[in-house]
Amino acid sequence: MTAVRFGLMALMLWLFSGVAIAQAPGEQHVKIALVAESDHPAPGSEVTLAFASVPEKGWHAYWLNPGDAGLPARAEWTLPRGATTGEFRYPVPQRLTIAGLMNYVYEGPFAPLVTLKIPADAKGAFPVRVKLNYLVCTDAICVPGKADLATDLQIGDGSVSPDRRAQFDAWRAALPKPLGAEGTYQVEGKALRLAVPFPAAARTEGEGYFFPATHGAFDYAAAQKVVRDGDRVVVDTAGLKSVGPIEGLLAFGKQGFWVRAVPGTVPPAANAAAAPAQLPWSGAVLAFLGAVLGGLILNIMPCVFPILSLKALSLAKANAEGGSPRAEALAYTAGVVLVCLALGGALLALRAGGATLGWAFQLQDPRVILVLLLLVTGISFNLAGLFELSAPGFVNRAASKGTGGAFMTGALAAFVATPCTGPFMGAALGAALVLPWPAALAVFGGLGLGIALPFLLLGFIPPLRRLLPRPGAWMETLRRILSVPMFLTALALAWVLGKQAGVSGMTLGLAAALLATLGLWWTGLRQRRGKALAWLPAAALLLIAISSIAWVQAAPAEAKTVSGGEKFSEARLAELTAQGKPVFAYFTADWCLTCKVNEKAVIETEAVEKALADNKVTVLVGDWTDGDPVLGRFIERHNRAGVPLYLWYKPGEAEPRVLPQILTQGMLQDLAAGK
Amino acid sequence: MTRPVLFGTAIAAVALVAAPLPAEPDVAKAVPNFRALDMHGKVVDLSQYRGKTVVLEWNNPGCPFVKKHYGSGNMQKTQAAATAQGVVWLTINSSAPGQQGNMSGPEAQKFVAGAKAKPTAYLLDPKGLVGKGYGAKTTPHLYIIDGKGQLAYKGGIDDKPTADVADIAGARNHVLAALAEMRAGKPVSVPETRPYGCSVKYAS
Repeated sequence: MTAVRFGLMALMLWLFSGVAIAQAPGEQHVKIALVAESDHPAPGSEVTLAFASVPEKGWHAYWLNPGDAGLPARAEWTLPRGATTGEFRYPVPQRLTIAGLMNYVYEGPFAPLVTLKIPADAKGAFPVRVKLNYLVCTDAICVPGKADLATDLQIGDGSVSPDRRAQFDAWRAALPKPLGAEGTYQVEGKALRLAVPFPAAARTEGEGYFFPATHGAFDYAAAQKVVRDGDRVVVDTAGLKSVGPIEGLLAFGKQGFWVRAVPGTVPPAANAAAAPAQLPWSGAVLAFLGAVLGGLILNIMPCVFPILSLKALSLAKANAEGGSPRAEALAYTAGVVLVCLALGGALLALRAGGATLGWAFQLQDPRVILVLLLLVTGISFNLAGLFELSAPGFVNRAASKGTGGAFMTGALAAFVATPCTGPFMGAALGAALVLPWPAALAVFGGLGLGIALPFLLLGFIPPLRRLLPRPGAWMETLRRILSVPMFLTALALAWVLGKQAGVSGMTLGLAAALLATLGLWWTGLRQRRGKALAWLPAAALLLIAISSIAWVQAAPAEAKTVSGGEKFSEARLAELTAQGKPVFAYFTADWCLTCKVNEKAVIETEAVEKALADNKVTVLVGDWTDGDPVLGRFIERHNRAGVPLYLWYKPGEAEPRVLPQILTQGMLQDLAAGK
Repeated sequence: MTRPVLFGTAIAAVALVAAPLPAEPDVAKAVPNFRALDMHGKVVDLSQYRGKTVVLEWNNPGCPFVKKHYGSGNMQKTQAAATAQGVVWLTINSSAPGQQGNMSGPEAQKFVAGAKAKPTAYLLDPKGLVGKGYGAKTTPHLYIIDGKGQLAYKGGIDDKPTADVADIAGARNHVLAALAEMRAGKPVSVPETRPYGCSVKYAS
């Protein structure tokens, strides 16, 4: 018996080896289940079906455009008479590059959704059958799979169990949201540039990437540079040729937006941060000169000046003893500049780890503004003399000896004197946060050069050594005067913060600045009394002040509804319509440019707000920025896949009027007046 | 011929063709020349076929899409029809060592004999130089070069991108259609399609 069974197995193995894996019926390396949102759909309704798919570890299934190779899944439906299905709606895919070929895939659980239309005359059992042909691959081999999937529905009341609802809401959240506005793309030679309307204020997280759904225009494996540029997103990559209107998915991390784009002319992104090659020279030169000046001023800071005079003395000595003051001056300069560049490089590396998007975008983040406000306030109060930043004593001693080589002395002076050079290092750090990297490095290099400049001059022009001003009270006076422009900068930052985060955001920022200043003041008092650990109170309070960024973040979200507008909910809508009140409900999202344009140009204008208020129209605002599934279902019920959606509920009319996507003031005024 | 000798010749020949090729050719543009070893260890130079129509077919016997067209005899039939018209058919294998479909010369001979394939030559391109030079992305992926050395067609073998043998019957064979049009002196009506299949298993 055993022998026979073994023989049979061997025969089967032989039959299925090599060729037959592909033809073996059933599932291959991915578990697929067909799930309906409602097992009891109502006649004439639409029910969403999901292909809940779980690829095995190491295997991947394909997006609707597989990329350079591979295949998307194909479905052959067997449905009761009159029933129809729509297109597959896929969640945001992943990129997988294998040996230079790009694949758009799913390596983990995913669920394409399909809408099933139930005919109005359906009743009783409603069997849904589908044959799914798909391809699954590892990075080495591919296997076509076939799945015969079935779900037996019963025509009913359309009820959805809470579990199902939650599950489908999660799947829906993974789908790209339709971005109402149309993009433009151009192919010049092998360069493709795509621009997509996308409001500057919309938040995005993660790296940007455009998944082309239409084949032919994009070179899939080419790197993409995705930049936020004002009210648009610009994608620069390699292309093949223009193929007419295209569609695709613009993704930021797990966030996805469905985009349509037509051929046209696309100007390059103005955002210099992302295009270092196109950085205007004037800007870089200006930043560099500013940094040199800053470094120069640094020399009269109380902690640096003594080092300089000591070094000048040692130079004079070197001259007298037949040494080379020029070589020594150059070595010192090299030491200072290199340390500054190294500091700058380290910061830029940190920055690169933090974000790949343009940094002008970061300036639109109130959190960044708040940190800059705290920094500038601190610098201002230091200049004003509230507290001191002192270099450790051993630096002064090391610098005076001049035996360890001028280069080392220079490096040491720049590096260990950092706490004391703090204010200007701080400014350079701020610049490094917002400038493209070549300019940021130039700032650090310039700072170093500025610090070394007087010394360099002293080395090369001996008579200057006699002219060296003596340290004295004039230094203090100059410092106090320099605090004024710094305070003005802080003022300007507070204003920007107010613009971005509202009055509450600005108050929070000023409170944080006050808190930080109190800490610094306290530290200053301790310093004057010569106490040990003078920095303790400042450190603690600064920490609290910086942690305030956690709150400022939420401020703009609360401050954006129109005056008189209420948060939308279906319950509130039902209540208002039951009372026979006119309602204007609109649905918007931060990333929807059309929505923002309508709001600024029409809804939030005085004329329209007055017309709405005069006629006692209640305005309900639904914010779909985060893709809230409850709102999503409501929007879908009005035959829209996304925002903008404008609904006007007139008393006495059962159904709302769906207004066009481009509003005019006249339209809303007429509606409000009941015309 | 002993193995080491064969291996030595292979190394020498690979060194011969190791010059990087220009970027992926466009339809109606001159194609880059290449030299590669065939399954018998002989050097095949594309320029030696100047004046003749040449078909390039990317192959990986382990790929289910290749199996679809070899298992059904469709690819062999296409090869036979083309070579009968005097067309040169070069099957190229760009699978890297250790990857699916990578074969030595003798293994390739066994595959060609076993499948009763009818290419003019079966070329081994384990470094992927020819494949990357032509932008070959899938197996199968087909190119037709006309007598003037210009690209006349690139893309899939037919218009049914599946791994299902049953789909061959109703499909338009783009290669045979293009060859017929070229023979009749007509322009190729479908000069470019999207290739389908497994990715070419280049060295990563």
